Amino acid sequence: MIEIGRLCVKIAGRDSGLKCVVVDDLGKGFVLIDGQTRRRKCNMMHLEPLNEILKIKKNASHDEVVKELKKLKIEVVEKKGKKKKTEKPVKQRKKKEAPAKEEAPAKGAKEKTAAKKEAPKKKQEKKKSK
Amino acid sequence: MPAGRYRSRTLRRVYKRTPGNKVKLVYKKRKPSKAQCAGCGSDLKGTFRGRVPVMMNLPKTKKRPERPYGGVLCSRCARRKIILASRQ
Ligand SMILES: [Zn+2]
Repeated sequence: MIEIGRLCVKIAGRDSGLKCVVVDDLGKGFVLIDGQTRRRKCNMMHLEPLNEILKIKKNASHDEVVKELKKLKIEVVEKKGKKKKTEKPVKQRKKKEAPAKEEAPAKGAKEKTAAKKEAPKKKQEKKKSK
Repeated sequence: MPAGRYRSRTLRRVYKRTPGNKVKLVYKKRKPSKAQCAGCGSDLKGTFRGRVPVMMNLPKTKKRPERPYGGVLCSRCARRKIILASRQ
């Protein structure tokens, strides 16, 4: 009754009411199905066989199954994968006194260097005084 | 003696411990009845029972099964319906 290529309707679970094809026999009453449903292992008790048999090989790929189903006018809607989240645009603060800020550290650096330069001079002066 | 409106058993009684470590009687509304199958009238499984404010904060998937006719028909009635439709 249920052999490879048999068109079925799934009657249990999330995919129930959707048409599928038996792709492989897994033994112990389980088969591999593909088509409008997800490609998955399935209990034979959860399938209602239909009249049609598709010409597909054992373990046929998803694309081959979709091609064969199209001949019977059974459309398979491909689910779009989750889109990658785009990064939110970050607001950039207005730079009010950008040039002033740049100058400030430079000034400090200069002062520091100046102080450093002065320090040895003072020492020298002290030495001279001694 | 409780106030007149609390003397019937319309509201359910819940004992609650207050922050002051006293036990007080609080009156709360009862849960709604279980959801029924539209085909055979049996109680539906996998459906959530709760008052509206609780149900509002629950995701859809926790309130009914994720199959066609989920939350309306029981699994047996839904299966029968799908099989009959496939045979036509
Ligand atoms: Zn039912």
